[in-house]
Amino acid sequence: MSKTGLVFFPAFDWAISPTHPEREERLLYTRDQIFEEGILDQGRIIEYKPRLAAEKDIQRVHFCVPDLAAQTTTAHFISAGSALKLGDALMAGEINNGFSLVRPPGHHAMRVVHGNRGFCNINNEAILVEYLRKKYGLRKIAIVDTDVHHGDGTQDIFYHDPDVLFISLHQDGRTLYPGTGFVDEAGGPGAYLKNINIPLPPGTSDEGFLKVWREIISPLLQSFHPELILNSAGQDNHFTDPLANMQVSAQGYARLTEELKPHLAVLEGGYAIETALPYVNMGILLALAGQDYSWVIEPQLQKQQIKQSAEVSRYVDKLITYWQKILSQLPPSKEELYGQTSIYTNQRSIYYDTENIREQQQEYLHYCPDCLGLYQVISQSDRTSGRPGYLIEGISIPIYACSACHEKGYQLWEEAKKKRKGHFCYLQDKKEDRYLVHKVI
Amino acid sequence: MEIGIDIGGTFTDGVVISGQEVLKSIKVPTGADLSLSIERALKQIMKGVKPEQIQQITLSTTLMTNLVVQNNLAKGGLLLIPGPGANPYQGKFPCVYKVLRGGVDYRGRIIEHLEMTEVEEACTYFLGKQVSQVAVACKFSQRNPVLEEQIIQYIQEKHPEIRVLASHKVSGLLNWVRRANGAYFTLTTREACAVFQENIKVTLKKLGLQCSVFILKADGGTLPLEVSLHYPLETIFSGPVASTLGALACTEEHITAVVIDMGGTTTDIALLLDGKPLLAERGAFINDYPVPVRSLAVTSLALGGDTPLLLENSQLVLGKRQGPALCLGGPLLTVTDLLVYLGYSDIASPQLIAAQVEKMACALQLTPQQFSDQVLALLWAKVEGELEKMFKSWEEEPAYRIWQVLSTQENRPQTMICLGGPATGLGEFWRKKKGWKVIIPAYASVANAIGAALAIPTLKLELFADTERNTYTTSEGGRQGVLSASLKNTEEAKEFALKLFRQIARERNLTEDTAWETLYEEGFHLVRGWQTTGKIFQIGLQTVPGIRAFLKEEAPYV
Ligand SMILES: [Zn+2]
Ligand SMILES: [Zn+2]
Repeated sequence: MSKTGLVFFPAFDWAISPTHPEREERLLYTRDQIFEEGILDQGRIIEYKPRLAAEKDIQRVHFCVPDLAAQTTTAHFISAGSALKLGDALMAGEINNGFSLVRPPGHHAMRVVHGNRGFCNINNEAILVEYLRKKYGLRKIAIVDTDVHHGDGTQDIFYHDPDVLFISLHQDGRTLYPGTGFVDEAGGPGAYLKNINIPLPPGTSDEGFLKVWREIISPLLQSFHPELILNSAGQDNHFTDPLANMQVSAQGYARLTEELKPHLAVLEGGYAIETALPYVNMGILLALAGQDYSWVIEPQLQKQQIKQSAEVSRYVDKLITYWQKILSQLPPSKEELYGQTSIYTNQRSIYYDTENIREQQQEYLHYCPDCLGLYQVISQSDRTSGRPGYLIEGISIPIYACSACHEKGYQLWEEAKKKRKGHFCYLQDKKEDRYLVHKVI
Repeated sequence: MEIGIDIGGTFTDGVVISGQEVLKSIKVPTGADLSLSIERALKQIMKGVKPEQIQQITLSTTLMTNLVVQNNLAKGGLLLIPGPGANPYQGKFPCVYKVLRGGVDYRGRIIEHLEMTEVEEACTYFLGKQVSQVAVACKFSQRNPVLEEQIIQYIQEKHPEIRVLASHKVSGLLNWVRRANGAYFTLTTREACAVFQENIKVTLKKLGLQCSVFILKADGGTLPLEVSLHYPLETIFSGPVASTLGALACTEEHITAVVIDMGGTTTDIALLLDGKPLLAERGAFINDYPVPVRSLAVTSLALGGDTPLLLENSQLVLGKRQGPALCLGGPLLTVTDLLVYLGYSDIASPQLIAAQVEKMACALQLTPQQFSDQVLALLWAKVEGELEKMFKSWEEEPAYRIWQVLSTQENRPQTMICLGGPATGLGEFWRKKKGWKVIIPAYASVANAIGAALAIPTLKLELFADTERNTYTTSEGGRQGVLSASLKNTEEAKEFALKLFRQIARERNLTEDTAWETLYEEGFHLVRGWQTTGKIFQIGLQTVPGIRAFLKEEAPYV
């Protein structure tokens, strides 16, 4: 009998604030539905106890400003640790797949963390990916993000990593937070077309959702040959979600899960806590466990038409044609994309909606013919009420760095420590699993 | 003085306890008729004891186990109202059932009404199959019982020949499959339980006993005999509970230990953690069917003193029981024989079986010492495998709150309490091999009856109150109702929970001052459109688990 692992961590004693969507009540009805069904008694679904992630697991992914304690609570450590727990169970062969049904979520958390963005502080999937790579030597991992919001945090973290294929399908950024996730954000020069955005029009239903999966994502996954598939299982594409405008049902989510066959699914957003979450979570769990989900029908569904308009269908078809065309062509090489320069630079501004912080970033990617190359970031957050601004520099040595880059990373680190008076420097040596923070005096 | 009686498969044991002392113990063979066995045991133990000296009798019976496991049930069926969710045809139900339209959601709101024509069709179907006991189970009926009640009312009016029971009356547990099965087993054993209860009353009268009588429950607590008629399922699987509590009584209050009870054919393994028996995470199963009963986490191995030692393809294997030990006139060399040979047991002379042991060792090209070690190692490998599984499931108990994740890093036990004849010898082996502390209580052979005598009533109440809908429900006792006054905060909700707790406690003959503890208390803001529209409270209360007394007798340590 194949087994599905479940870590259920509703964090009944944690909220951003009492009336915030990310509050204690969020998974209450999901708990009710899953427990009431009695499906945990059948032996197919094994429930695991959540655990805490280690500080190192988080540092492997993030530069938390000024430090971990400022950006995390125990709930974050447990939420991230729960995914790791299932990762271990999967690698030990105890389970065939798993669902980390936890809060708080993480997919809006980027590499540099100055505060909470889109209810997220640390990125659970990214922490899982880096953990599995470090501990088990996995290399190629695909992440499919089915939250209605663009997974901008995950995109940011793996933007220059050709070993991680990140695919996000979401409501078009012109109509929804965080306002990114367009088709031209397709990966850095060393990882071009390893970041695929599928911005769907408002009003897309099961039909468009599944069509995009079958005609873009599924062939893409097949040609990538991932060793592992992860699903950022946000549930706010649901037709009752209060924060977005899509028309997907529990059946649509369950069907996608059944066909995608993720090894691990991690809950992200979804704030229709009564009308969507109990049913969508149930659908996903049953689909993972290979059980019949056809009875999981929301009570509202009969009353509401969720058929997508002809206009939406036309738009979805155009999107499919676009991606099919791009993906059928031979992509330009890394050298062509770098062009004459040996350092790719990118300047941008990032907004933290929850805490009203604005961050200015300058990114540098150092070209290397032998590995991903060093990543360097200089970031400044503005001063907001009750919070000082920070200027930081982060240097990241990739996990499979060549020895020249590894050495050069430490040189950059020594230089950084000299120049940034009064501020913080971070070194992320993923190769040696060593993480350093330095406050320059 | 209190009497404890444990009816086992082979023997019925009884003790009289006064304070911390065992005054008397007896052992009689168990007969086919349970009531008769109890009568015989009581008669024997009452010899020389004045009836008015006895304050209380606690029985650990196999009545429910016999009825249910051997499928001696009245013919019953289930009417299911699943609503949306998992496919009900894939649920684990022990009898014929019909699935009906209708639905209630997690807040207790009706999302689909019943079709009474379907109920009528189902009745016709059941009657055609000679099924005249029907349990009714609707998903989330504990949050709103109205659909179950409508069906019950319909059947009582139109088909009075069918006996019905609603699942919400049996349990308020958040698990409708368990509630459905609980209602089915309760309904189909009710008559046999009533007969049993009558028999016990007659026996007591004969012996002039007027004290209160309790039945031992699967979770280590007790229920008054009269109340047990309403919750008969809770008295199932009490045998291992009795011996585990007995082991506890023979040691100390805060002991953390593995309890091994080895009989002729089976070995039961249980855990005591800080003086409390570990309960099964989700509850009991009857023939693989989940039921709404909290029970001890007990693992049973088909392994015991009578387990024969066999040679298969020149390999030593443990076989299935063929009879008693060779030294007691049985057909094959057994575990018990080996213990006698090694001097761990003195029930027979080692001379009786020495030749057989040496012969088998020789066949395996081993010295008798090597052979003995191999047998014991084989035996313990099985026990150890089960222990590992138990520890793991204990350590992996789910946690839904931050404090639970942080607070449950515990250490595995390093102490073993051995009960039953063969366990004594094996305990010695374990101590040598693993360096554990091994305890063999002085009253090991009647530990089960001691456990029954010293058990105390238990009650666990989980309140779920919804101030927006003005409703509340409880798990045990299966109560639901309307909140007369709105609960403003967690303190008020807890006060209310405590009131219900005391009510149910009174019904179960618990005293007013019974010690209780809070398992959890939490309030959830119901926010709709950024406005708080109400609150949901969850309060968990339970009696402090334990036993009435610890025996004074110093337990002899190995
Ligand atoms: Zn989202
Ligand atoms: Zn390099």
